[in-house]
Amino acid sequence: MQSSPLANPLATVAQLESSSSQLNGIPLDLEDSIRFAGARLTQAAGVLLRLPQEVIAHAIVIFTRFWAGSEGGSLLEYGAEQVSSGSLFLASKLSAFPKSARSIINVYAFLNTFPSTFIESDQLQTKKNAEEYYVSEGTFQSRRTTLFKTEQQILKTLGFQLQVSLPHTLCITYLQALDVFTHPRASELAKRAIGHLNAALLSPQLLYLTHHPPYLATAAIYLAAKEVMMKLPDVEWWEVFDTDREELGFLVVGLLSVETFAAAEKARWGDKKVPMTVDAVEAELIARRTLNGGEG
Amino acid sequence: MTGASRWADDEADKAEAARRKKEKEEKKRAKLAKQQAEQEAARRSRQEAEGRPAKRRRLSKSLEEESAKPIEAKLLRFETPGWGPCRHSNNFETLNHIEEGSYGWVSRAKEISTGEIVALKKVKMDYVNDGFPITALREISVLQKARHQNIVDLKEIIMGDGLDDVILVMEFLEHDLKTLQEDMSEPFLASEIKTLLRQLASAVEFLHDNYIMHRDLKTSNILLNNRGLLKLADFGMARLIPPPNAPLTQLVVTLWYRAPELLLGTTTYDMSIDMWSVGCIFGELLAKEPILQGKNEVDELSKIFELCGLPNDNSWPEFYRLPNAKSLKLPRDPKNAGSVIRTKFPFLTNSGSELLSSLLSLNPEGRPAAKEMLAHPYFRENPKPKPMEMFPTFPSKAGQEKRRRRSPNAPKRGEAPGMGMGDIDFSSIFAGREEEQKGAGFTLRMV
Repeated sequence: MQSSPLANPLATVAQLESSSSQLNGIPLDLEDSIRFAGARLTQAAGVLLRLPQEVIAHAIVIFTRFWAGSEGGSLLEYGAEQVSSGSLFLASKLSAFPKSARSIINVYAFLNTFPSTFIESDQLQTKKNAEEYYVSEGTFQSRRTTLFKTEQQILKTLGFQLQVSLPHTLCITYLQALDVFTHPRASELAKRAIGHLNAALLSPQLLYLTHHPPYLATAAIYLAAKEVMMKLPDVEWWEVFDTDREELGFLVVGLLSVETFAAAEKARWGDKKVPMTVDAVEAELIARRTLNGGEG
Repeated sequence: MTGASRWADDEADKAEAARRKKEKEEKKRAKLAKQQAEQEAARRSRQEAEGRPAKRRRLSKSLEEESAKPIEAKLLRFETPGWGPCRHSNNFETLNHIEEGSYGWVSRAKEISTGEIVALKKVKMDYVNDGFPITALREISVLQKARHQNIVDLKEIIMGDGLDDVILVMEFLEHDLKTLQEDMSEPFLASEIKTLLRQLASAVEFLHDNYIMHRDLKTSNILLNNRGLLKLADFGMARLIPPPNAPLTQLVVTLWYRAPELLLGTTTYDMSIDMWSVGCIFGELLAKEPILQGKNEVDELSKIFELCGLPNDNSWPEFYRLPNAKSLKLPRDPKNAGSVIRTKFPFLTNSGSELLSSLLSLNPEGRPAAKEMLAHPYFRENPKPKPMEMFPTFPSKAGQEKRRRRSPNAPKRGEAPGMGMGDIDFSSIFAGREEEQKGAGFTLRMV
């Protein structure tokens, strides 16, 4: 099959129904939390590495694909932080802006010094005492070995299927086709739509694993137009972009729900850390068990 | 095909091997059956999902009103590939090694379940600082994108026992152009060169249309099957055209096929470096050997100037601004400053030598794009490109076929036709033609 900027490899029904982590006894809500935190971590690391958003988005899709299905990776075998760094390493390597293992490891060490998973984005830029995130030579060597192993594990698990077509550029093309750029608030609309596409990367519904780029782009435009109250053509314009009403409705709801989900996650974890390593996940499982035992 | 190997096992070993093979096959069959059952189940559940009425929230009033009109819109649906973990390399049985390159080992193999013959390319994992080799990663990602009839088909990637055994499964083609030419007694005919060149140019056109530079075009990377079909291979150097602010390395393309601007150290090259290589390949097909066999960068450049003439302000204004051009002392008043391409290839027609000269233009801007090359009159004038079906076949080195020079053996006693064996069936006389031609390296010469 000829790969197309309009199509992506998508997860099968079986891959969406269950995952390695669930088969290993990890509750669904914990899996969702960790996947969400892992995607956000990838985004933060990408920003600090000054990678373009397309590379970061690519990395997040690879990260998300890794956990899907019974043949995917399990959170009891691979830490989310480790897979996040592996995905970012791979995505940057395939881009025009490769990052060295050293840079990747340093950035993740830096991010690890924050006490909570849910920090504000401006906190990322805070200056810190360098000693806090210093990586010694020995630690570096062992982390690099892990990084390389994880990279290969990702490649193996995905069968080297790293192709990702992003909806972002399509979204701009569609906006041009809809002739909105003559409107004074067009850039507000475009920003909002691109924002939805980036938020969708974090969706617990794994929208990038279930829908092709044209549908995502169309839904983002539809929702953004409602939000900034801009009038789009009074016909079923989404069909021009090959999206039917059913898909559009589903995706708009999906895009809208990301915000609620994110707020709930933030409230739930507060200033705690989401478990991002195998050890932390095991500890969390034990803690939950004793908590439940105590109640019962 | 061949007699018993001299390493042939004794009977006991054979029995043991057969037993083990049977066991393995049984396991594999069970696994396959399970997979099929799973797929079937997945398909059924998908059908169910599709059959279910929609229960989704309506978005707005206007949507509901519009849905009343039963107009069936024709929406484009997309083929959706998925992903799954790499299969294990024991699904394949290695037949023979073909070659070892800088990048990995290539061998011919058979997929056990289907019997299909494939080429396996094992990735060399000599990484130190960068993890999984970027060349292999680029090759895989480019080949996944580039599906074209003149580009080798990457079927899948398999892994051995460890994470370090990574093997690309590709379609097997009998020849590469370099080995083939070395074994041929005469060069290709003009009509055959056109067929080859046209296929090569259409592969390059496809790549360039998709923003991919090959960056290592040469005859050993061009494969040919016994049906005259040419396919481009080895994308270890290939990459997408990067955004304008990302630097490119000049360390690309095998020396003999490297464009002059690369030798002179440019960092802003483009697709035209591939077209230079195509020119070198064109010349090589005519001459039956590489035309610019420099010993090193300096020698290569002087060979280029010898063939194509010296650059001057008119023909290549940017020349003097290239990093390595300053160290170059060009003769002020050269005697043979012009191109000798026309005299070097005397049998080439006017338009042919015009095409070759333009491909081997020192100034990158003078080289035609692949699309322009395909439209060149050279491909329309006589002799016309030879139809692929008429292409001669040759014994394949990679397929371990030998050229049969011996005449057939004299018939033995008691083998006279029709004696005790019933009538002889001649129906296969034309049916098996392809097999018969394989290994003969013979065909009618038609120019």
